[in-house]
Amino acid sequence: MAVLISAIVVLTGCVNATVDEMTFLEPTEGIGDRSVVILGRRHAPDYETEFEFIECVGDHIRTGDPSITVIGERQFLDTLYPWFEPRTAPLRTEDIDTLLKEAPVAKELSALKLEYMVWIDGTTVETNSSGSMTCGVGPGGAGCFGFGTWGEASDYEATIWGLSDKAEVGRIAANTSGQSYMPAVVVPIPIIAPVQGTACDSLGDQLLKYLSAQY
Amino acid sequence: MVAHSLDSMTSDRKGLLLLISLLVLLSSGCGTRQVVVEGRFPSPLMEPLPITLGVVYSDEFANHEFYDEAVGRNESDWLVRTGDAQVEFWNTLLGGMFERVVIIKDHDTLHAIDAPIDAVLIPYVEDLQYTIPLHTNIKVYEIWMRYRFRLVDVSSIHDHDNGDISYYPTESFADFQLSAYGKTPTAFLQSDEEAVNLAAVVALRDAGAHFATAFERVPEVATWLQTIEDKTRDQ
Repeated sequence: MAVLISAIVVLTGCVNATVDEMTFLEPTEGIGDRSVVILGRRHAPDYETEFEFIECVGDHIRTGDPSITVIGERQFLDTLYPWFEPRTAPLRTEDIDTLLKEAPVAKELSALKLEYMVWIDGTTVETNSSGSMTCGVGPGGAGCFGFGTWGEASDYEATIWGLSDKAEVGRIAANTSGQSYMPAVVVPIPIIAPVQGTACDSLGDQLLKYLSAQY
Repeated sequence: MVAHSLDSMTSDRKGLLLLISLLVLLSSGCGTRQVVVEGRFPSPLMEPLPITLGVVYSDEFANHEFYDEAVGRNESDWLVRTGDAQVEFWNTLLGGMFERVVIIKDHDTLHAIDAPIDAVLIPYVEDLQYTIPLHTNIKVYEIWMRYRFRLVDVSSIHDHDNGDISYYPTESFADFQLSAYGKTPTAFLQSDEEAVNLAAVVALRDAGAHFATAFERVPEVATWLQTIEDKTRDQ
């Protein structure tokens, strides 16, 4: 049993991660009482950045430094409707000026004390899968037999916009990949590679370093 | 193990249970899957136009539904009812875009109007299409809608003895279309119905975003708004 648990612990760590970072105008004292919002890009036809991933990065920052105010994405989208929908969301920092010409938008952003807007673009996809598993139920019980494996890859890029400077102040990319396994001898044992979770932690850590005075 | 379990079923009761299970399994792909679109729609954050707008929702619009008959044995019929959500959504959007909105339902509401109405908006859903992963092999649910909007003068709304109201489309001074698109990816523990509903809500939000940002840019609408502005300035 101990060997099995050890094997699971080792295999769950089987994720490769690469993080690239390029930031400038870092706030040396942190962002103080100002706030940050993390938003997903959703204008591509074949994928959209998952709401759950955005929530995960936001939670990572909140947990890492509770003094940072991270505005929830759904709350932000509803409050600022219709200016941040996939069709209308600003794609370049030059669009911030156009957006601020709408008086209610400028007033709302000011009320939120918004200093940074972080746009995350990317997704997690399944890259391969193989194996087979058969499950059955009989009077004597139920069980499965077989082996399955699948690979996942996450590719996310965060672009940080500084609203005071109305400029891009950083770009962070996280690429992760990993292979999950599911052997089954009566009971299936999922050995999941936390591919998306690692990408979330990687981006969250880098954003914390940028935004927080503690890191 | 499955084979063993089947062999062991010897009693009539088990046989009957198996038959029922098989019938349920076989019929699961044949029924109609129904979605009554429901969602939470935010009010738009914008300066309301200083206009009193009348709105007529036709019965067809207020009860809008989309029915798609299955083509293959493994597919289901789909019935997507968007009417209630359409009315709720457009009431919220227009209420935030214009200073005053009057819903004109029938003869009584037409004659109960106590303030001058600048124009009456009549929306239509001209087309709605959807795709689910079964159709495309892409793990995304999509809804696409095409709307048509007509603006008429309130004097062009005619009432009838039975209480109904109507207008002649040729009397509209603005007639424009816009499309809306919503998609949602497949998600763990999310049914097809939930995903189609979510895609419809995203499409409605997109329709609102499109309408709110494009309305004043429609040439006939821009001319009409300019006329109202000039009239207000002269007064």
